[in-house]
Amino acid sequence: MNKALRNPAIYILFIVPSLILYFLFFIYPLITSVYYGFTDWDGLNNPQFVGFDNFVKLFEDADFLHSILNNIYFICFSVGIQVPLIILFALLIGSVKRFQRLYKTTVFLPSILSTSVIGILWGFIYDPDMGLLNRFLGLFGVDTIYWLSDEKTAFLSILITNAWQWMGFYIVLVLAAILAIPKELTEAAAIDGATGFQQATKITVPLIMPIISVVIMLSIAGAMRVVDIVIVMTKGGPAGSTDVMASYMVSRAFSYGQYGYGTTIALIIFVFSLVLTALYQIAFNRKASEGVEY
Amino acid sequence: MMKSIKKISPHFVLLLYVAVILYPFVFVILSSFKTNNQEIQSNPWGLPNVFTFSNYSEVWVKGKISVYFFNSLYLSLAAAVCGVILAAMMSFAITRMKFTKSSKWLYQFILVGMLIPGNALFIAQYILVADMGILGTHWALFLPYTAGAIPLSVLLVSAFMKAIPSEIEEAAVIDGLSAGGMFVRIILPLTVPALVTVFIVNFLGNWNEFLLSNFFLSKDSLKTLPTGMAGFRDAFQTNYALVCTGIIYSVVPVFILYAVLQEKIIAGLTAGSVKG
Repeated sequence: MNKALRNPAIYILFIVPSLILYFLFFIYPLITSVYYGFTDWDGLNNPQFVGFDNFVKLFEDADFLHSILNNIYFICFSVGIQVPLIILFALLIGSVKRFQRLYKTTVFLPSILSTSVIGILWGFIYDPDMGLLNRFLGLFGVDTIYWLSDEKTAFLSILITNAWQWMGFYIVLVLAAILAIPKELTEAAAIDGATGFQQATKITVPLIMPIISVVIMLSIAGAMRVVDIVIVMTKGGPAGSTDVMASYMVSRAFSYGQYGYGTTIALIIFVFSLVLTALYQIAFNRKASEGVEY
Repeated sequence: MMKSIKKISPHFVLLLYVAVILYPFVFVILSSFKTNNQEIQSNPWGLPNVFTFSNYSEVWVKGKISVYFFNSLYLSLAAAVCGVILAAMMSFAITRMKFTKSSKWLYQFILVGMLIPGNALFIAQYILVADMGILGTHWALFLPYTAGAIPLSVLLVSAFMKAIPSEIEEAAVIDGLSAGGMFVRIILPLTVPALVTVFIVNFLGNWNEFLLSNFFLSKDSLKTLPTGMAGFRDAFQTNYALVCTGIIYSVVPVFILYAVLQEKIIAGLTAGSVKG
Protein backbone atom coordinates (compact mmCIF):
# COMPACT_ATOMS: atom_id res chain seq x y z
CA MET A 1 0.00 0.00 0.00
CA ASN A 2 2.88 2.35 0.66
CA LYS A 3 3.85 2.71 -2.96
CA ALA A 4 3.83 6.48 -2.80
CA LEU A 5 6.39 6.43 -0.02
CA ARG A 6 8.63 4.10 -1.98
CA ASN A 7 9.02 6.43 -4.92
CA PRO A 8 12.81 6.70 -5.38
CA ALA A 9 12.58 9.73 -7.66
CA ILE A 10 10.88 11.76 -4.95
CA TYR A 11 13.30 10.46 -2.34
CA ILE A 12 16.30 11.60 -4.36
CA LEU A 13 14.67 14.89 -5.27
CA PHE A 14 14.06 15.65 -1.59
CA ILE A 15 17.50 14.68 -0.41
CA VAL A 16 19.88 15.85 -3.08
CA PRO A 17 19.65 19.65 -2.65
CA SER A 18 20.52 19.45 1.05
CA LEU A 19 23.20 16.88 0.42
CA ILE A 20 24.90 18.96 -2.24
CA LEU A 21 25.00 22.03 -0.02
CA TYR A 22 26.12 20.00 2.95
CA PHE A 23 28.85 18.32 1.00
CA LEU A 24 29.98 21.57 -0.55
CA PHE A 25 30.22 23.60 2.65
CA PHE A 26 31.08 20.94 5.24
CA ILE A 27 32.70 17.85 3.79
CA TYR A 28 34.60 19.40 0.90
CA PRO A 29 36.16 22.21 3.04
CA LEU A 30 37.09 19.59 5.61
CA ILE A 31 38.97 17.62 2.98
CA THR A 32 40.64 20.67 1.43
CA SER A 33 41.59 21.91 4.92
CA VAL A 34 43.56 18.75 5.46
CA TYR A 35 45.23 19.31 2.10
CA TYR A 36 46.05 23.03 2.50
CA GLY A 37 47.19 22.51 6.09
CA PHE A 38 50.17 20.59 4.73
CA THR A 39 51.10 23.20 2.12
CA ASP A 40 52.71 26.63 2.14
CA TRP A 41 49.95 28.17 0.03
CA ASP A 42 50.04 31.98 -0.01
CA GLY A 43 46.93 32.58 -2.09
CA LEU A 44 48.89 33.40 -5.26
CA ASN A 45 51.45 30.77 -6.19
CA ASN A 46 50.79 27.09 -6.52
CA PRO A 47 50.65 25.36 -3.14
CA GLN A 48 53.76 23.32 -2.32
CA PHE A 49 53.49 20.28 -0.11
CA VAL A 50 55.59 20.89 3.00
CA GLY A 51 54.74 17.92 5.19
CA PHE A 52 54.56 18.69 8.87
CA ASP A 53 56.56 21.92 8.56
CA ASN A 54 53.58 24.12 9.43
CA PHE A 55 52.88 22.13 12.56
CA VAL A 56 56.50 22.30 13.67
CA LYS A 57 56.61 26.04 12.98
CA LEU A 58 53.36 26.61 14.84
CA PHE A 59 54.57 25.00 18.01
CA GLU A 60 57.64 27.21 17.88
CA ASP A 61 55.56 30.30 17.12
CA ALA A 62 55.39 32.24 20.40
CA ASP A 63 52.34 34.22 19.25
CA PHE A 64 50.44 31.05 18.50
CA LEU A 65 51.37 29.49 21.82
CA HIS A 66 50.17 32.66 23.49
CA SER A 67 46.86 32.37 21.65
CA ILE A 68 46.44 28.79 22.87
CA LEU A 69 47.04 30.07 26.38
CA ASN A 70 44.28 32.63 25.87
CA ASN A 71 41.90 29.86 24.83
CA ILE A 72 42.85 28.00 27.99
CA TYR A 73 42.18 31.12 30.09
CA PHE A 74 38.89 31.38 28.31
CA ILE A 75 37.98 27.82 29.25
CA CYS A 76 39.10 28.30 32.86
CA PHE A 77 37.14 31.52 33.21
CA SER A 78 34.01 29.96 31.67
CA VAL A 79 34.13 26.80 33.71
CA GLY A 80 35.66 28.09 36.92
CA ILE A 81 33.88 31.41 37.34
CA GLN A 82 30.88 31.51 35.02
CA VAL A 83 29.50 28.04 35.70
CA PRO A 84 29.24 28.49 39.51
CA LEU A 85 27.60 31.88 38.97
CA ILE A 86 25.24 30.37 36.40
CA ILE A 87 24.17 27.70 38.89
CA LEU A 88 23.76 30.29 41.64
CA PHE A 89 21.61 32.60 39.53
CA ALA A 90 19.55 29.71 38.20
CA LEU A 91 18.90 28.55 41.76
CA LEU A 92 17.91 32.06 42.76
CA ILE A 93 15.52 32.48 39.84
CA GLY A 94 14.11 29.04 40.53
CA SER A 95 13.50 29.96 44.16
CA VAL A 96 11.35 33.02 43.55
CA LYS A 97 7.76 33.07 42.45
CA ARG A 98 7.28 36.71 41.59
CA PHE A 99 9.02 38.12 38.53
CA GLN A 100 10.40 34.71 37.58
CA ARG A 101 9.45 35.17 33.94
CA LEU A 102 10.81 38.68 33.88
CA TYR A 103 14.18 37.52 35.20
CA LYS A 104 14.29 34.67 32.74
CA THR A 105 13.53 36.79 29.67
CA THR A 106 15.89 39.57 30.71
CA VAL A 107 18.93 37.45 31.44
CA PHE A 108 18.44 35.59 28.16
CA LEU A 109 18.25 38.78 26.12
CA PRO A 110 21.97 39.43 25.39
CA SER A 111 22.46 35.97 23.91
CA ILE A 112 20.16 36.71 20.96
CA LEU A 113 22.08 39.84 19.96
CA SER A 114 24.94 40.03 17.52
CA THR A 115 28.38 39.65 19.08
CA SER A 116 29.56 42.45 16.87
CA VAL A 117 27.03 44.90 18.29
CA ILE A 118 27.78 43.75 21.82
CA GLY A 119 31.48 44.28 21.20
CA ILE A 120 30.80 47.83 20.03
CA LEU A 121 28.49 48.48 22.96
CA TRP A 122 31.04 47.27 25.49
CA GLY A 123 33.67 49.34 23.74
CA PHE A 124 31.73 52.33 25.10
CA ILE A 125 31.56 50.87 28.54
CA TYR A 126 35.32 50.38 28.57
CA ASP A 127 36.12 53.77 27.02
CA PRO A 128 38.80 55.35 29.22
CA ASP A 129 37.32 58.86 29.31
CA MET A 130 33.62 58.56 28.71
CA GLY A 131 33.01 54.91 29.46
CA LEU A 132 30.47 53.91 32.07
CA LEU A 133 32.91 51.65 33.89
CA ASN A 134 35.56 54.29 34.53
CA ARG A 135 32.89 56.86 35.38
CA PHE A 136 31.50 54.44 37.91
CA LEU A 137 34.89 53.50 39.38
CA GLY A 138 35.79 57.19 39.37
CA LEU A 139 33.09 57.72 41.98
CA PHE A 140 35.28 55.65 44.29
CA GLY A 141 38.43 57.51 43.34
CA VAL A 142 39.86 54.86 41.02
CA ASP A 143 42.23 56.27 38.38
CA THR A 144 41.54 56.00 34.67
CA ILE A 145 42.03 52.43 33.44
CA TYR A 146 42.72 51.83 29.75
CA TRP A 147 40.72 48.63 29.68
CA LEU A 148 41.11 47.59 26.05
CA SER A 149 44.47 49.15 25.27
CA ASP A 150 46.35 47.85 28.29
CA GLU A 151 47.74 44.34 27.91
CA LYS A 152 46.96 43.58 31.55
CA THR A 153 43.25 44.24 31.31
CA ALA A 154 42.37 43.75 27.63
CA PHE A 155 41.73 40.02 27.72
CA LEU A 156 39.89 40.20 31.02
CA SER A 157 37.65 42.88 29.48
CA ILE A 158 36.81 40.49 26.64
CA LEU A 159 36.10 37.66 29.09
CA ILE A 160 33.70 39.85 31.04
CA THR A 161 31.88 40.96 27.90
CA ASN A 162 31.56 37.37 26.78
CA ALA A 163 30.22 36.36 30.19
CA TRP A 164 27.70 39.19 30.02
CA GLN A 165 26.51 37.94 26.64
CA TRP A 166 26.29 34.21 27.32
CA MET A 167 25.63 33.61 31.01
CA GLY A 168 21.90 34.21 30.66
CA PHE A 169 21.63 31.56 27.98
CA TYR A 170 23.08 28.91 30.29
CA ILE A 171 21.11 30.19 33.27
CA VAL A 172 17.93 29.51 31.31
CA LEU A 173 19.14 25.99 30.44
CA VAL A 174 19.86 25.20 34.09
CA LEU A 175 16.68 26.89 35.25
CA ALA A 176 14.59 24.64 32.99
CA ALA A 177 16.17 21.60 34.65
CA ILE A 178 15.57 23.02 38.13
CA LEU A 179 11.91 23.71 37.39
CA ALA A 180 11.50 20.16 36.09
CA ILE A 181 12.35 18.68 39.49
CA PRO A 182 9.15 17.56 41.21
CA LYS A 183 8.22 19.95 44.02
CA GLU A 184 7.65 17.06 46.45
CA LEU A 185 11.37 16.44 46.75
CA THR A 186 12.31 19.84 48.11
CA GLU A 187 9.09 20.03 50.10
CA ALA A 188 9.87 16.73 51.79
CA ALA A 189 13.37 17.99 52.59
CA ALA A 190 11.93 21.19 54.00
CA ILE A 191 9.64 19.18 56.28
CA ASP A 192 12.67 17.22 57.45
CA GLY A 193 14.16 20.55 58.46
CA ALA A 194 16.62 21.16 55.59
CA THR A 195 17.48 24.80 55.13
CA GLY A 196 17.22 26.47 51.75
CA PHE A 197 20.98 26.12 51.33
CA GLN A 198 20.89 22.41 52.17
CA GLN A 199 17.99 21.83 49.78
CA ALA A 200 19.99 23.50 47.03
CA THR A 201 23.27 21.68 47.60
CA LYS A 202 21.95 18.28 48.67
CA ILE A 203 18.95 17.89 46.42
CA THR A 204 18.68 20.36 43.56
CA VAL A 205 22.30 20.50 42.41
CA PRO A 206 22.86 16.70 42.40
CA LEU A 207 19.66 16.30 40.39
CA ILE A 208 20.69 18.83 37.76
CA MET A 209 24.22 17.46 37.33
CA PRO A 210 23.48 16.21 33.79
CA ILE A 211 22.54 19.68 32.58
CA ILE A 212 25.48 21.25 34.42
CA SER A 213 27.67 18.87 32.54
CA VAL A 214 26.10 19.94 29.26
CA VAL A 215 26.72 23.56 30.20
CA ILE A 216 30.37 22.84 30.94
CA MET A 217 30.77 21.06 27.62
CA LEU A 218 29.08 23.85 25.70
CA SER A 219 31.29 26.37 27.50
CA ILE A 220 34.42 24.49 26.50
CA ALA A 221 33.23 24.20 22.91
CA GLY A 222 32.30 27.89 22.91
CA ALA A 223 35.71 28.87 24.29
CA MET A 224 37.44 26.89 21.54
CA ARG A 225 35.58 28.61 18.73
CA VAL A 226 35.51 32.14 20.11
CA VAL A 227 36.61 34.67 17.52
CA ASP A 228 34.25 37.49 16.55
CA ILE A 229 34.25 39.21 19.91
CA VAL A 230 38.05 39.42 19.82
CA ILE A 231 38.08 40.78 16.28
CA VAL A 232 35.44 43.40 17.04
CA MET A 233 36.77 44.54 20.41
CA THR A 234 40.56 44.51 20.06
CA LYS A 235 41.47 42.93 16.68
CA GLY A 236 43.78 40.74 18.76
CA GLY A 237 45.68 43.70 20.14
CA PRO A 238 47.33 45.35 21.93
CA ALA A 239 50.37 43.67 20.38
CA GLY A 240 48.61 40.35 19.85
CA SER A 241 47.96 39.95 23.56
CA THR A 242 44.26 39.10 23.14
CA ASP A 243 44.57 36.81 20.12
CA VAL A 244 42.88 33.44 20.49
CA MET A 245 43.61 30.55 18.15
CA ALA A 246 40.79 31.36 15.74
CA SER A 247 41.55 35.08 15.55
CA TYR A 248 45.23 34.31 15.04
CA MET A 249 44.22 31.95 12.24
CA VAL A 250 42.15 34.68 10.60
CA SER A 251 44.88 37.28 10.85
CA ARG A 252 47.54 34.89 9.48
CA ALA A 253 45.38 34.04 6.48
CA PHE A 254 43.84 37.39 5.69
CA SER A 255 46.43 39.92 6.85
CA TYR A 256 49.56 37.97 5.91
CA GLY A 257 48.22 35.79 3.10
CA GLN A 258 49.50 32.66 4.83
CA TYR A 259 46.55 30.48 3.87
CA GLY A 260 48.43 27.22 4.31
CA TYR A 261 49.67 28.19 7.75
CA GLY A 262 46.24 29.48 8.76
CA THR A 263 44.59 26.24 7.66
CA THR A 264 47.02 24.31 9.83
CA ILE A 265 45.73 26.33 12.79
CA ALA A 266 42.19 25.42 11.72
CA LEU A 267 43.11 21.75 11.81
CA ILE A 268 44.60 22.15 15.27
CA ILE A 269 41.43 23.89 16.52
CA PHE A 270 39.38 21.06 15.06
CA VAL A 271 41.49 18.35 16.67
CA PHE A 272 41.64 20.11 20.05
CA SER A 273 37.86 20.53 20.09
CA LEU A 274 37.30 16.89 19.24
CA VAL A 275 39.77 15.69 21.85
CA LEU A 276 38.37 17.93 24.58
CA THR A 277 34.77 16.93 23.93
CA ALA A 278 35.72 13.27 23.69
CA LEU A 279 37.70 13.38 26.94
CA TYR A 280 34.87 15.13 28.66
CA GLN A 281 32.31 12.67 27.31
CA ILE A 282 34.38 9.70 28.49
CA ALA A 283 35.00 11.19 31.91
CA PHE A 284 31.46 12.29 32.42
CA ASN A 285 29.20 9.90 30.57
CA ARG A 286 29.91 7.11 33.00
CA LYS A 287 28.14 9.18 35.61
CA ALA A 288 25.44 10.50 33.32
CA SER A 289 24.48 7.09 32.01
CA GLU A 290 23.39 6.16 35.51
CA GLY A 291 20.68 8.71 34.85
CA VAL A 292 18.42 10.59 37.16
CA GLU A 293 15.25 9.07 38.41
CA TYR A 294 12.82 10.91 40.56
CA MET B 1 10.93 40.06 59.90
CA MET B 2 13.67 37.50 59.20
CA LYS B 3 11.33 35.72 56.90
CA SER B 4 10.61 38.75 54.76
CA ILE B 5 14.33 39.52 54.45
CA LYS B 6 14.86 35.98 53.29
CA LYS B 7 12.11 36.41 50.75
CA ILE B 8 13.45 39.66 49.39
CA SER B 9 17.17 38.94 49.26
CA PRO B 10 17.09 36.78 46.09
CA HIS B 11 15.18 39.58 44.38
CA PHE B 12 17.81 42.04 45.45
CA VAL B 13 20.59 40.02 43.83
CA LEU B 14 18.54 39.27 40.73
CA LEU B 15 17.46 42.86 40.23
CA LEU B 16 21.08 43.85 40.40
CA TYR B 17 21.83 41.36 37.64
CA VAL B 18 18.90 42.63 35.58
CA ALA B 19 20.25 46.16 36.01
CA VAL B 20 23.68 45.07 34.75
CA ILE B 21 22.02 43.54 31.69
CA LEU B 22 19.69 46.41 30.93
CA TYR B 23 21.72 49.45 31.85
CA PRO B 24 23.98 49.40 28.77
CA PHE B 25 20.86 49.50 26.61
CA VAL B 26 19.46 52.42 28.56
CA PHE B 27 22.76 54.20 28.08
CA VAL B 28 22.66 53.54 24.34
CA ILE B 29 19.08 54.74 24.02
CA LEU B 30 19.75 57.92 25.99
CA SER B 31 22.97 58.61 24.13
CA SER B 32 21.30 58.20 20.77
CA PHE B 33 19.18 61.27 21.51
CA LYS B 34 22.06 63.41 22.66
CA THR B 35 23.65 65.91 20.32
CA ASN B 36 27.35 65.24 20.82
CA ASN B 37 30.08 63.72 22.93
CA GLN B 38 30.24 66.66 25.32
CA GLU B 39 26.68 66.07 26.29
CA ILE B 40 27.29 62.34 26.82
CA GLN B 41 30.46 62.98 28.77
CA SER B 42 29.07 65.68 31.03
CA ASN B 43 25.88 63.78 31.65
CA PRO B 44 26.32 60.05 30.95
CA TRP B 45 23.55 58.76 33.19
CA GLY B 46 20.87 61.37 32.71
CA LEU B 47 18.25 62.26 30.14
CA PRO B 48 19.30 64.35 27.15
CA ASN B 49 18.69 68.10 27.36
CA VAL B 50 16.50 67.99 24.29
CA PHE B 51 15.43 64.83 22.51
CA THR B 52 16.97 65.16 19.05
CA PHE B 53 15.89 62.73 16.40
CA SER B 54 18.36 64.08 13.89
CA ASN B 55 20.82 61.28 14.71
CA TYR B 56 18.29 58.75 13.51
CA SER B 57 17.81 60.23 10.08
CA GLU B 58 21.51 61.01 9.75
CA VAL B 59 22.59 57.46 10.56
CA TRP B 60 19.88 55.90 8.41
CA VAL B 61 20.77 57.91 5.32
CA LYS B 62 24.36 59.10 5.59
CA GLY B 63 25.64 56.22 7.69
CA LYS B 64 24.15 53.77 5.19
CA ILE B 65 22.60 51.83 8.03
CA SER B 66 19.51 51.52 5.85
CA VAL B 67 21.59 49.67 3.24
CA TYR B 68 23.09 47.30 5.81
CA PHE B 69 19.68 46.81 7.37
CA PHE B 70 17.97 45.67 4.18
CA ASN B 71 20.95 43.53 3.17
CA SER B 72 20.76 41.77 6.53
CA LEU B 73 17.01 41.46 6.36
CA TYR B 74 16.73 39.89 2.95
CA LEU B 75 19.79 37.67 3.30
CA SER B 76 18.73 36.38 6.71
CA LEU B 77 15.17 35.79 5.56
CA ALA B 78 16.11 34.12 2.28
CA ALA B 79 18.69 31.82 3.84
CA ALA B 80 16.46 30.94 6.78
CA VAL B 81 13.48 30.16 4.53
CA CYS B 82 15.57 28.04 2.16
CA GLY B 83 17.20 26.27 5.09
CA VAL B 84 13.82 25.40 6.55
CA ILE B 85 12.44 24.13 3.24
CA LEU B 86 15.50 22.02 2.49
CA ALA B 87 15.60 20.62 6.02
CA ALA B 88 11.89 19.80 5.89
CA MET B 89 12.26 17.98 2.57
CA MET B 90 15.25 16.02 3.74
CA SER B 91 13.62 15.18 7.08
CA PHE B 92 10.46 14.03 5.33
CA ALA B 93 12.46 11.76 3.05
CA ILE B 94 14.49 10.19 5.83
CA THR B 95 11.80 9.86 8.47
CA ARG B 96 8.63 9.11 6.50
CA MET B 97 9.69 7.45 3.26
CA LYS B 98 10.45 3.75 3.13
CA PHE B 99 14.16 3.75 2.44
CA THR B 100 15.11 3.04 6.03
CA LYS B 101 18.61 1.79 5.50
CA SER B 102 19.99 4.62 3.44
CA SER B 103 18.03 7.10 5.53
CA LYS B 104 19.74 5.98 8.72
CA TRP B 105 23.09 6.33 7.07
CA LEU B 106 22.27 9.77 5.66
CA TYR B 107 21.07 11.00 9.02
CA GLN B 108 24.33 10.04 10.74
CA PHE B 109 26.29 11.57 7.89
CA ILE B 110 24.50 14.90 8.26
CA LEU B 111 24.95 14.94 12.02
CA VAL B 112 28.73 14.71 11.61
CA GLY B 113 28.47 18.33 10.53
CA MET B 114 27.55 19.31 14.05
CA LEU B 115 30.87 18.06 15.39
CA ILE B 116 32.84 20.46 13.22
CA PRO B 117 33.47 23.79 14.92
CA GLY B 118 32.21 26.38 12.42
CA ASN B 119 35.29 28.55 12.24
CA ALA B 120 37.65 25.61 11.62
CA LEU B 121 36.30 25.45 8.06
CA PHE B 122 36.44 29.17 7.59
CA ILE B 123 39.55 29.47 5.41
CA ALA B 124 38.65 26.44 3.32
CA GLN B 125 35.18 27.89 2.76
CA TYR B 126 36.77 31.16 1.72
CA ILE B 127 38.88 29.37 -0.86
CA LEU B 128 35.85 27.40 -2.05
CA VAL B 129 33.75 30.53 -2.43
CA ALA B 130 36.58 32.22 -4.30
CA ASP B 131 36.92 29.21 -6.62
CA MET B 132 33.20 29.25 -7.28
CA GLY B 133 33.59 32.85 -8.41
CA ILE B 134 31.03 34.21 -5.97
CA LEU B 135 33.41 35.91 -3.55
CA GLY B 136 32.23 39.44 -2.88
CA THR B 137 28.62 38.72 -3.83
CA HIS B 138 25.66 37.91 -1.61
CA TRP B 139 25.79 34.33 -2.84
CA ALA B 140 28.98 33.99 -0.80
CA LEU B 141 26.87 34.44 2.33
CA PHE B 142 23.55 33.00 1.20
CA LEU B 143 24.93 29.56 0.32
CA PRO B 144 27.06 29.00 3.46
CA TYR B 145 24.25 30.34 5.68
CA THR B 146 21.74 27.96 4.12
CA ALA B 147 24.16 25.05 4.20
CA GLY B 148 25.32 25.80 7.74
CA ALA B 149 21.79 25.50 9.06
CA ILE B 150 21.15 22.08 7.57
CA PRO B 151 22.55 19.73 10.25
CA LEU B 152 20.79 21.27 13.24
CA SER B 153 17.59 21.90 11.28
CA VAL B 154 17.43 18.31 10.04
CA LEU B 155 18.04 17.10 13.59
CA LEU B 156 15.21 19.17 15.07
CA VAL B 157 12.70 18.73 12.25
CA SER B 158 13.18 14.99 11.88
CA ALA B 159 12.82 14.50 15.63
CA PHE B 160 9.44 16.19 15.28
CA MET B 161 8.38 14.32 12.12
CA LYS B 162 9.27 10.96 13.60
CA ALA B 163 6.68 11.53 16.29
CA ILE B 164 3.79 11.87 13.81
CA PRO B 165 1.77 8.62 13.82
CA SER B 166 2.01 6.63 10.61
CA GLU B 167 -1.76 6.02 10.43
CA ILE B 168 -2.04 9.50 9.00
CA GLU B 169 -0.11 8.55 5.90
CA GLU B 170 -1.89 5.29 5.53
CA ALA B 171 -5.15 7.21 5.32
CA ALA B 172 -3.57 9.61 2.88
CA VAL B 173 -2.32 6.82 0.66
CA ILE B 174 -5.78 5.34 0.54
CA ASP B 175 -7.04 8.74 -0.52
CA GLY B 176 -4.57 8.53 -3.40
CA LEU B 177 -2.03 11.16 -2.40
CA SER B 178 1.47 10.98 -3.85
CA ALA B 179 4.58 11.40 -1.70
CA GLY B 180 4.87 15.03 -2.69
CA GLY B 181 1.22 15.65 -1.92
CA MET B 182 1.59 13.96 1.43
CA PHE B 183 4.55 16.16 2.25
CA VAL B 184 2.86 19.42 1.31
CA ARG B 185 -0.71 18.72 2.43
CA ILE B 186 -0.23 16.57 5.51
CA ILE B 187 3.22 16.42 7.04
CA LEU B 188 4.25 20.05 6.53
CA PRO B 189 1.18 21.55 8.20
CA LEU B 190 1.65 19.21 11.15
CA THR B 191 5.32 20.17 11.47
CA VAL B 192 4.74 23.90 11.56
CA PRO B 193 5.77 24.34 15.23
CA ALA B 194 9.17 22.76 14.60
CA LEU B 195 9.58 24.68 11.36
CA VAL B 196 8.92 27.97 13.12
CA THR B 197 11.50 27.14 15.77
CA VAL B 198 14.10 26.21 13.20
CA PHE B 199 13.30 29.30 11.16
CA ILE B 200 13.84 31.58 14.16
CA VAL B 201 17.10 29.91 15.13
CA ASN B 202 18.41 30.22 11.58
CA PHE B 203 17.18 33.75 11.12
CA LEU B 204 18.82 35.00 14.31
CA GLY B 205 22.03 33.18 13.49
CA ASN B 206 22.18 34.77 10.04
CA TRP B 207 21.15 38.20 11.30
CA ASN B 208 24.01 38.18 13.81
CA GLU B 209 26.67 36.42 11.74
CA PHE B 210 29.93 38.33 11.60
CA LEU B 211 32.93 36.35 10.41
CA LEU B 212 31.82 35.35 6.90
CA SER B 213 30.16 38.65 6.27
CA ASN B 214 33.32 40.47 7.29
CA PHE B 215 35.72 38.54 5.07
CA PHE B 216 33.62 37.28 2.15
CA LEU B 217 32.35 40.73 1.17
CA SER B 218 34.36 43.82 0.50
CA LYS B 219 31.89 46.20 -1.13
CA ASP B 220 30.38 48.51 1.44
CA SER B 221 26.99 48.51 -0.27
CA LEU B 222 26.66 44.74 0.21
CA LYS B 223 27.58 44.56 3.89
CA THR B 224 25.21 43.32 6.56
CA LEU B 225 24.50 45.01 9.86
CA PRO B 226 27.10 43.31 12.09
CA THR B 227 30.00 44.11 9.77
CA GLY B 228 28.51 47.38 8.57
CA MET B 229 28.20 48.44 12.20
CA ALA B 230 31.82 47.56 12.93
CA GLY B 231 32.95 49.66 9.96
CA PHE B 232 30.57 52.39 10.97
CA ARG B 233 32.10 52.43 14.45
CA ASP B 234 35.60 52.71 13.01
CA ALA B 235 34.50 55.59 10.78
CA PHE B 236 32.58 57.53 13.43
CA GLN B 237 34.61 56.51 16.45
CA THR B 238 34.58 60.06 17.67
CA ASN B 239 30.83 60.40 17.58
CA TYR B 240 29.23 58.25 20.23
CA ALA B 241 25.75 59.54 19.66
CA LEU B 242 25.75 58.37 16.04
CA VAL B 243 27.20 54.95 16.80
CA CYS B 244 24.64 54.45 19.57
CA THR B 245 21.90 55.28 17.08
CA GLY B 246 23.35 52.67 14.76
CA ILE B 247 23.23 50.12 17.54
CA ILE B 248 19.55 50.88 18.11
CA TYR B 249 18.74 50.19 14.47
CA SER B 250 20.52 46.90 14.70
CA VAL B 251 18.98 45.59 17.92
CA VAL B 252 15.40 46.88 17.65
CA PRO B 253 14.24 44.25 15.11
CA VAL B 254 15.62 41.51 17.34
CA PHE B 255 13.96 43.04 20.40
CA ILE B 256 10.63 43.17 18.60
CA LEU B 257 10.95 39.56 17.51
CA TYR B 258 11.90 38.63 21.06
CA ALA B 259 9.01 40.53 22.60
CA VAL B 260 6.52 38.64 20.44
CA LEU B 261 8.13 35.22 20.37
CA GLN B 262 10.27 35.01 23.49
CA GLU B 263 9.09 31.57 24.56
CA LYS B 264 9.59 30.17 21.10
CA ILE B 265 13.03 31.76 20.76
CA ILE B 266 14.24 30.55 24.14
CA ALA B 267 12.92 27.05 23.50
CA GLY B 268 14.41 26.92 20.02
CA LEU B 269 17.87 28.16 20.87
CA THR B 270 18.23 26.05 23.98
CA ALA B 271 16.86 22.90 22.32
CA GLY B 272 19.35 23.39 19.51
CA SER B 273 22.31 23.63 21.85
CA VAL B 274 21.39 20.75 24.13
CA LYS B 275 20.67 18.31 21.36
CA GLY B 276 23.77 19.43 19.54
